[in-house]
Amino acid sequence: MPAVLEVKGLSKKYPKKDVFAADGVTFSVNEGEIFALIGPNGAGKTTTIRMISTLIQPTEGDAEVAGYSIVKSPDKVRENITYLPDEAGAYKTMTGIGYLEFMGGLFAKDRETLDKYIERGKAICGLGERLNDKIGGYSRGMIRKLLLARAVMTEPKLAVMDEATSGLDVINALEIRKMIKALAKEQNMAFLLSSHNMLEIEYVSDRVGIMTNGKLMEIGRIDELKEKYGAANLEEVFEKVVKEGGEL
Amino acid sequence: MKFGNLLKKELRELITKQAIISMAFTMVLLIVMGQIMGTAMEESFNTSTITICSRDDSEFTKDMLAEVEASNSAKLNYVDLISDDYAAELERLEIDNVVIIPDGYGDSITEKHTPAQIKFVSKMQSGGVTSSMTTISASEVIRTIQSVCTDEILLKKHGLTDEEVDLVREPMQLIEYTVNNSRISQVSASALASVTMMQSFIAPIVIFFLLMMAAQMIMTAISTEKIDKTLETLLSAPVSRMSVLGAKMVAAVISALMNAAFMAVGFVFYMQGMMGTAANELSASAEAAAEIGAAVNLGQAMTELGIALSPIDYVLFAFQLFFTVAIGLSISLILGAMATDVKSVQTLTMPIMIAVMIPFFITMFMDVNSMSPVFKLIVYAIPFTHTYMALTNIMNGDMIVYWAGLAYQIVFFAVCMFLAVKMFTTDRLFTMSFSAGNGRRAGKLSFGQSSPTKDK
Repeated sequence: MPAVLEVKGLSKKYPKKDVFAADGVTFSVNEGEIFALIGPNGAGKTTTIRMISTLIQPTEGDAEVAGYSIVKSPDKVRENITYLPDEAGAYKTMTGIGYLEFMGGLFAKDRETLDKYIERGKAICGLGERLNDKIGGYSRGMIRKLLLARAVMTEPKLAVMDEATSGLDVINALEIRKMIKALAKEQNMAFLLSSHNMLEIEYVSDRVGIMTNGKLMEIGRIDELKEKYGAANLEEVFEKVVKEGGEL
Repeated sequence: MKFGNLLKKELRELITKQAIISMAFTMVLLIVMGQIMGTAMEESFNTSTITICSRDDSEFTKDMLAEVEASNSAKLNYVDLISDDYAAELERLEIDNVVIIPDGYGDSITEKHTPAQIKFVSKMQSGGVTSSMTTISASEVIRTIQSVCTDEILLKKHGLTDEEVDLVREPMQLIEYTVNNSRISQVSASALASVTMMQSFIAPIVIFFLLMMAAQMIMTAISTEKIDKTLETLLSAPVSRMSVLGAKMVAAVISALMNAAFMAVGFVFYMQGMMGTAANELSASAEAAAEIGAAVNLGQAMTELGIALSPIDYVLFAFQLFFTVAIGLSISLILGAMATDVKSVQTLTMPIMIAVMIPFFITMFMDVNSMSPVFKLIVYAIPFTHTYMALTNIMNGDMIVYWAGLAYQIVFFAVCMFLAVKMFTTDRLFTMSFSAGNGRRAGKLSFGQSSPTKDK
């Protein structure tokens, strides 16, 4: 499978701070693969994700999304990715359908494509008639579903999701995990996830990267890592890697 | 297509049903207030009662009071004061005012041809609009008495010759000229001021509201996106940051213009309601007739003085208005991007509010040129000052001041816009923050990682 995302020595140092928020991060995500970045708070996951999403610029290094550099061609990168931030909101004065239409309109080149996006979005979010209501009246879970639908309805090459299922109940979270797996398998969509929920990561991810203190300490398939660290589950792997990194 | 999509979204966010209702409500409120004030003034003029204490039994005084009563300016109520303790007398008679005509008043005019004193005593009013209008209408009656007692027929009836009548009626003749720079016109400066007041009063109010609305809107637009984390989603979409920025600014201008238009319409009706009544009442008097006669020639006088505004002048004014709004928007954009919560938005609004209000009040109530050089420099350093003064500068032909102000605004705008664009197109948009809450970070400006964008 060809790589959709190639991250090469990506670093970020904020002004007036001596430490690197991300330090030489290198990894790749292939077509149809679900890759998860995990790590404790302040490990540099969100910084790495935001650099890949072209929201902030790297101090050093580069990353390529579908062959386009995040430094040299951020506009092209944005055509190929979607980003779902943690605790993201939606415009409260818009209706659900209006939101899908607005966001889809930023990706679609013509009306026909936009209509296709909207239909997909409607089907994925499963909000039915409630899509005609103002988002201001939605529950947190409904907003998250709408945002998830928005993130995948445009069929991006890479969907970047920070805490994809945060705010969702068990049933809804499970639905979303299944949906992510199905999209990766059936439509070859690549996912870059970030989460604190180890069970979720273990369930959906093909490979994981464990970050601590801005560095990517470990990378590999979950079963390989479990074997390497003699751990029963991903949580134990996480604990051992983070301890090695001096975090705990 | 994408810019149109963004602009549509921004307009929908700013021009909501609630916003339109609020704008319309303000306009209607101003119109209704104007009408209420006008009606109150009219009623006050029509129904006021003036109490007269006449200590003069001369035929002249009797005839004069009969004339005043016939003029329908007010109902006259006659009383007798038993002492000169006016406070006690007003209390005893349960009246608010009294006009005291002294003994010998008629004789001093008809026999001695010398000025005679009339005393007018009135209670201090509570401060309500209607009560202050009662005082105004009472003053109007005094003016009517003045007018009646110098009436040619009345004076002749009481044996005055033509020369004596002229002397009593017009002890001096006043011909007023007004000079503006090197131009001169035979017109009363006060009459001219009353005509130009509408222009010089309404324009600053419209500028004030336009600036306040536009600034607040862009600040809310950008800070809400940041606080709600919709900005990150939006900026990771295939759309340039300049388009997002441009759509927000254009939408804020359109929305602010709508606000200003509602406000201006309301204010014009408010002023018409007030002024219309006052003018109608004044026109009843002979003095007012002369004023109106003069007003007919005011247009010509304004042209002679070079203060009549041409379409080009309005275009010049529009230039400064545009740059003022643009400066306000760019500063607000930078401030709005620093907000981390609703509290900090309110705090960050303060600097722009102060910068808008200071020149507004100074240019409305003071002459900037008469201030000390240091204060003048400070006031001129606020870019909005030049727009508040633009109409006056154009009317007075102070074009050097106008062009210097415009040049300053352009430079100021370029610097602000450069900073705004730099902030919007770099990491600073996400890393810059201002916290207004309690605790250690309160009021602290940070260029590092802010709490809403904190890494996990």
